[in-house]
Amino acid sequence: MAANLEPVERYAGPRDLLEVDLTARTSRRIALRDEVFADALGGVGLAVRLIDERVRGPLDPLGPENPVVFAAGPFPSTAVPAANKHALATISPLTGFLNEGLSSSHFSAVLRRCGLAAIVITGAADAWTTLAIDGDAVRFEDASALQGLSARETTKALRDAYGDRSVRVCAIGAAGERGVRFAAVENDGRQAGRGGTGAVLGAKRLKAIALRGRGEVGIADPHATAAIAATLRTRALGPKTAKYRVLGTGANLRVLQRMGQLPTRNFTAAQFEGAENVTPERARESKGTYLELRAGCAGCPVQCEHLYVRKERDRRSAAASEYESVWAFGPNCGVDDLDAVLDAIGRCDELGLDTISTGSAIAFAMECADHGLVPRDAFAPEEHAARGAELRFGNAAVLLPAIEAVAARSGLGDVLADGVRAAAHRIGGGAERFAMHCKGLELPGYEPRALPTYALGLATCTRGACHNRAATYDRDLRDPSDDRDDAERARDAIEAEDRAVAWDSLVLCKFVRDCFEDFEMEAAALWSAVSGIALDAAALRAAAHRTWERKRAINARLGWTPRDDTLPERLFAEPIPSGPNAGRRIELDRLAALSAAYEALRREAGALAGTVVHSA
Amino acid sequence: MKVELFGMARALAGVSHVDLALDEAVALPDFLRSLAEAVPALVPDVIAPSLDALVEPNLLLLDGRRAPRAGETFGAADNPCVLFLASGG
Repeated sequence: MAANLEPVERYAGPRDLLEVDLTARTSRRIALRDEVFADALGGVGLAVRLIDERVRGPLDPLGPENPVVFAAGPFPSTAVPAANKHALATISPLTGFLNEGLSSSHFSAVLRRCGLAAIVITGAADAWTTLAIDGDAVRFEDASALQGLSARETTKALRDAYGDRSVRVCAIGAAGERGVRFAAVENDGRQAGRGGTGAVLGAKRLKAIALRGRGEVGIADPHATAAIAATLRTRALGPKTAKYRVLGTGANLRVLQRMGQLPTRNFTAAQFEGAENVTPERARESKGTYLELRAGCAGCPVQCEHLYVRKERDRRSAAASEYESVWAFGPNCGVDDLDAVLDAIGRCDELGLDTISTGSAIAFAMECADHGLVPRDAFAPEEHAARGAELRFGNAAVLLPAIEAVAARSGLGDVLADGVRAAAHRIGGGAERFAMHCKGLELPGYEPRALPTYALGLATCTRGACHNRAATYDRDLRDPSDDRDDAERARDAIEAEDRAVAWDSLVLCKFVRDCFEDFEMEAAALWSAVSGIALDAAALRAAAHRTWERKRAINARLGWTPRDDTLPERLFAEPIPSGPNAGRRIELDRLAALSAAYEALRREAGALAGTVVHSA
Repeated sequence: MKVELFGMARALAGVSHVDLALDEAVALPDFLRSLAEAVPALVPDVIAPSLDALVEPNLLLLDGRRAPRAGETFGAADNPCVLFLASGG
């Protein structure tokens, strides 16, 4: 999609694109034009633009032709807080559509210190490979000795080999090597989890990317940047982020339980009787039982990650208590054993698995077992039988054997490793009604039946069921009346989607979302100060809109139709059985009306901007 | 009026709920003034220093389901909860 671009001021930051062909073992650096940054900003905007230029029709996501993009945000290696982040984009092996995600911390900063705005990787190596980028130099190194290692172990091995602890590494674990379609990519203890980018790297036999860069990162107006950054940092240490600093996202568990919006046992209920047992607050309050550790991304004052481990255990086995992960293995599997949940999260991180999709796949299998579609002992071969690893809701003992089987692609684990949509198809017998996904991506831990605008956002999201691309639950809660018209809800969903694109292109952590008094104006000023290219609020909105249109255009070329923008059958057919939202469900006609309003508004906005790409 | 506290409100108050001496239905500003009086630790991180608004993104939900409309009064039967729901990094 061509944009009408005017000549712009010179972009001050790192501008090189590194194109890597793993088949040919070649690479080349290209200086991106100023207009590219003015058009796409960075992060997701840049990654999506680079995918848009390269994916012109249907392709095999696990084939060599599928590009993987790593695109730095515009702020890593500057004083801007909560902004050491980069985007990853590829065609998802789970959905068959565009997958764009984020990761954080030192890797993003060093990418820019190598002079790079982005890396595009195509092709496939004939043996396990590490892509080593050392400033301007690029090497293709044998990674056969790294096979089977976790990302953390891979990082240590590469640093030992280079004799340099400043090397930053992103890597896949065993799950990515074996093509688990929801395998993650990890760097610095942070994961780009959703959508299976780890499987795409595994198919390319790319075990790791190692970066070493010490170059200066240009900033157009250091004084203005420092002033804005200082203001943001002060606000980020205030009450707007207190929840993340003090409690972490796991605090959502108690809240959603009270609200009757905590998906339980594969969305068959919306309150979990054992929820209190798996709240991170319970771990914190049980003084003497658990050790609490704090962690966070480089340059972030929030340090949102709260990790827990029993005091008698090795502190290196502490697991992050992020809400989505705790939900996936706790309430969604009916498990009320915090130790088992933390062990499951920790093991997923070691194997390189997305916790949401893994927990959802196990919950799906539990429900299939309830209906006799898969055997109860599917994950209970001899070595686990004694520990009672039957596949049923509430059985904590089955979590680890199931995770191992998924990562090893053994038995039922091999079926689940393709995601619940494909697994339901293979299992048959009506298993589709237990597969909780949108476009193939498993649902996150919010109950959509009581949140119609959020439900619309889940359905329309270009990457599938993502809570970070159309997080409108807040608007549903503030105004839950059913008399809001469809156009208003559709407008809310569109605003939320475009706002998320802006955040993800600048790449700012959404945890500081409330630290801006006027996000568009302040963020545009910040981008201008760092980049040297003038941007105002309207131009920021337009850039976000262009990127969303590109996402839809890519999906359209991959076969997307409006019929893909739907929700799991259960949300239409089965009302919430009990709790504050008992009886609520999504009406099929209502979603159709909301979707029609959404498409009409999107077409109108695209027509005004001259960028209509809809196939509908 | 029993008020349930979640997240930061609970962490600051050190209790899961408080009982306010409110016999009649009140609108949000009066409710917040009473809550701030009962739990001063909620000011300024949860309740704004002006005592008439919650600090975003804290929310007051009735019955855990909906926020009161502007000017709407509510009472004990509405089961007010103070919470903070936001996710995504």
